[in-house]
Amino acid sequence: MSPRLRILLGLALIAALVAPLLPLALWSVARGWFFPQILPANWTIEPWMQAFAPRSEIPGALATTTLIALAAAALALALGIPAGRALGLYRFRGKALVELALLAPVIVPGIAVGLGIHGVFLRLGLTNSVPGVVLVHLVPTLPYVIFVMSGVFANYDAEAEAQARSLGARPLQVLWHVMLPAIAPGIVVAGLFAFLVSWSQYILTLTIGGGRVVTLPLLLYAQAGAGRNDQAGVLAMLSLGPGLVILALVARQLTGRGMAIGGTR
Amino acid sequence: MIGRGHPWLSLAPALGVIAVLFGGGLALGLAGSFGMGRGGASLEAWIAVLSEGRVWRSLGLSLWIAFASTALSCVIGLGAALLLRRRFPGQGLARLLFQINLTIPHAVGALGILWLLSQSGFVARLSAGAGLIDGPAGFPALTQDRFAIGIIAHYVWKEVPFIGLILLANMQSLGDDPESAARSLGASPFAAMRLVLLPLLMPALIRAGAIVFAFSFGAWEVPVLLGQSAPTALPVLAWQRFTDPDLAARPEAMALAMLIALVSAVLIRAAFAGRNR
Amino acid sequence: MKRMMTAIGALLLAGTAAAQQGDALLDMGWDEIVETARGGEVNVFMWGGADNINAYVSDYIGGILEEEYDIALNRVPLSDTAEAVNIVLGEVEAGATTGAVDMIWINGENFRTMKQGDLAWCGYVDKLPNAELVNFDNPAIANDFGTPVEGCEVPWSRVQFAFAHDTARTSEPPRSISELLAWVEANPGRFTYPAPPDFTGAAFVRHVFTHVAGGPDALIGPFDQAKFDAVAEETWEILNGIEPHLWREGVTYPTSITQLQQMFANQEVDLFFTYDPAEVGTAVVNGIFPETARSYGLSDGTLANTNYMVIPVNAANKAAAMVTQNLLLSAEAQLEKAQPEVWGAATVIEPDRAPDEVQAGFAALERHPSVVSIEELGQAALPELQADWTSAIEDGWIRNVGN
Repeated sequence: MSPRLRILLGLALIAALVAPLLPLALWSVARGWFFPQILPANWTIEPWMQAFAPRSEIPGALATTTLIALAAAALALALGIPAGRALGLYRFRGKALVELALLAPVIVPGIAVGLGIHGVFLRLGLTNSVPGVVLVHLVPTLPYVIFVMSGVFANYDAEAEAQARSLGARPLQVLWHVMLPAIAPGIVVAGLFAFLVSWSQYILTLTIGGGRVVTLPLLLYAQAGAGRNDQAGVLAMLSLGPGLVILALVARQLTGRGMAIGGTR
Repeated sequence: MIGRGHPWLSLAPALGVIAVLFGGGLALGLAGSFGMGRGGASLEAWIAVLSEGRVWRSLGLSLWIAFASTALSCVIGLGAALLLRRRFPGQGLARLLFQINLTIPHAVGALGILWLLSQSGFVARLSAGAGLIDGPAGFPALTQDRFAIGIIAHYVWKEVPFIGLILLANMQSLGDDPESAARSLGASPFAAMRLVLLPLLMPALIRAGAIVFAFSFGAWEVPVLLGQSAPTALPVLAWQRFTDPDLAARPEAMALAMLIALVSAVLIRAAFAGRNR
Repeated sequence: MKRMMTAIGALLLAGTAAAQQGDALLDMGWDEIVETARGGEVNVFMWGGADNINAYVSDYIGGILEEEYDIALNRVPLSDTAEAVNIVLGEVEAGATTGAVDMIWINGENFRTMKQGDLAWCGYVDKLPNAELVNFDNPAIANDFGTPVEGCEVPWSRVQFAFAHDTARTSEPPRSISELLAWVEANPGRFTYPAPPDFTGAAFVRHVFTHVAGGPDALIGPFDQAKFDAVAEETWEILNGIEPHLWREGVTYPTSITQLQQMFANQEVDLFFTYDPAEVGTAVVNGIFPETARSYGLSDGTLANTNYMVIPVNAANKAAAMVTQNLLLSAEAQLEKAQPEVWGAATVIEPDRAPDEVQAGFAALERHPSVVSIEELGQAALPELQADWTSAIEDGWIRNVGN
């Protein structure tokens, strides 16, 4: 494919993907934007001023949401990487069932499990707290991590590990110098998904957090549901923030050319 | 692949968390659909739900949305990953922008699609400005329409980066060797891609596709914003019963939710079985 | 009905334990209650879609609570009151005696669910000093959509259904239901209403239903199946009849009042309606509606109701909730709420029971030009039907019109 065609198609793709963000961004600086106005007739910085006014809940919610998402992602990785390795590298009886069990949280709609999970958390005394919310976010994030990692491990060359061990390397060294570098892009993607899934949770945060744990999605649903498009626009833009920061940090990992391990066979 | 083995230690923590939290929640939900916790078990809710024409129409709509969204997302996602893996000017920026809408919650994305595609939305206003239409009514109905165009457009918009990213990560791990080997044997670039790379990517693609299918089948935030009032997607129906002040509707809401889970599980299981042959 | 009774039975058992705590408060004097609440917190769950209401509660009410009572107010925004009811329900079912929810802004079917499920804490209202400002004999306050309140919730605001039009587009809007029906046929594609179970959409359908019945007097009282069937048949006929003249030819309806709001603002439809006419003014100020939007009432009257604050039976901070409710009922707070730049909400207290300065304040209230005068609307206020009628009308619409 010629570079020029690649650039063109790339532009078209990016344009299509970014397009829906345009009205959201414009609404965050508009005061009334009605048909048939193509651009808002009245521009204003007011929605942003309100968002960061002293009594605004938004800065706190931003911090809370980020904290919870980072914690949930870390936990999901800790549990999901070993599980992904098990699924990707081994065949065993009942594997399909295990896969289904681990994929289940994605299949079952949040509302069905929401009430039941609330019951479980009540009995465990974990409601209305940030740790409780982090724990419940594990439910939707873990499957994503497991399935990214199992896919990565399916293409993983276990031979390299065997070779390293035969050369006298200890298990921890094998882990650090052989396995981790090879699966690093996968970890980055899996961690990113986990972070983002936690970042956009609404129902689970509302029920388990009991409304005491205020995250951006809670504020956003309230504003969007009331037709406050300007505030919803601001919240939407803010929702992009930390994700973009992390993306910028890890983008190099994804485009990285240092992952030579995958190439030496 | 290491082969046969019993890696239960690696699986135990993850399985444990899901079994207790999710499994427990699911069990309570299932019990709820049988009316337990409300005085006695009964099939009342299930019978009511399965004999309602509205439920079957909603099921049909949800299946259409899920299949169409998954198919389109997989195809376009694959294309996007192939596009973005080679070096070209602006590749870094393109990859970065490609991932932006992963960070956007579905509700926000749905709002964006609504404001973009509705009859008084951005595209409609551009058309009005260009003199193509007289008023909102002149613009085609892309949202809240019978083919769920707006809903499918949203899912595709949201999931293409998801699938694309997974495929990119996998291609990264695979490296160029498989295709280089094929090329050195005389295959054309396209044939190498189709006959060597694609099969290697299939497991990941199917898994990602399953996740997309499950989500587009079972989510309610998007159809509630972009869908028709009737027939409505199955999750929306469940949500309405769930928030119905009449408590008697609760078991029916649970039954509907379990129905969604069941159909989804059966279809996904079938997809995996096909692959493992 | 049987299912409802077994549900209630189960909840009764669970709720009894939680109620024990509240009993201690019922024995105390007001000053003792205030002292119990001092230094604590209160968690108020309420629909969070209006910034001005949020600011009034968080800043004005919250400010006074902190300064005078050293109570921290946590306002929890909801997009649907049913969410809070579900949380309480889940907690009581699981046997949790200290709940996350201390107060819910509520009325109608949600209140009925709580009262019948014994989820509402009752019997404390006469302890509130400011309760004497309210005329509890007024049937509009003593009944919440036909469900007797019986001291299980405290009134907060009155609302009355009103329509709105854009003077730039529609100079002569229809001013009665019959005029509206004729207007719809003359202006195809320019009107629609949110599909029940949306709260406001269901209210619109009730207006048509009441119109067909010849007025609310024909429907007062408990549910009557025969009466219902007769009126319903004609109502569905009318609503199905106008479908081809509705937006999108009635093939689909907006699913929420917010959607209708956007469609009205963006010229997809020409009429809007809401339970809170002050909202039209606020919407203009916030840039949601064009400045030429005006609200108006109907000549044959519109439905009016009261909304309340309820304390769940398992609330963890009942004393603080009582102090908060007392504050919400105070003459000054009710006047502040009625100020058009704050909210413009109609009061539930009798102004002549309030101190002189407050009375003068009420008399001097101005309103936003887009908002129809409350007195004008109030002259044609119709009472809400009992909850059984409401559910039957809603289900009937879904089955006969909305399919």
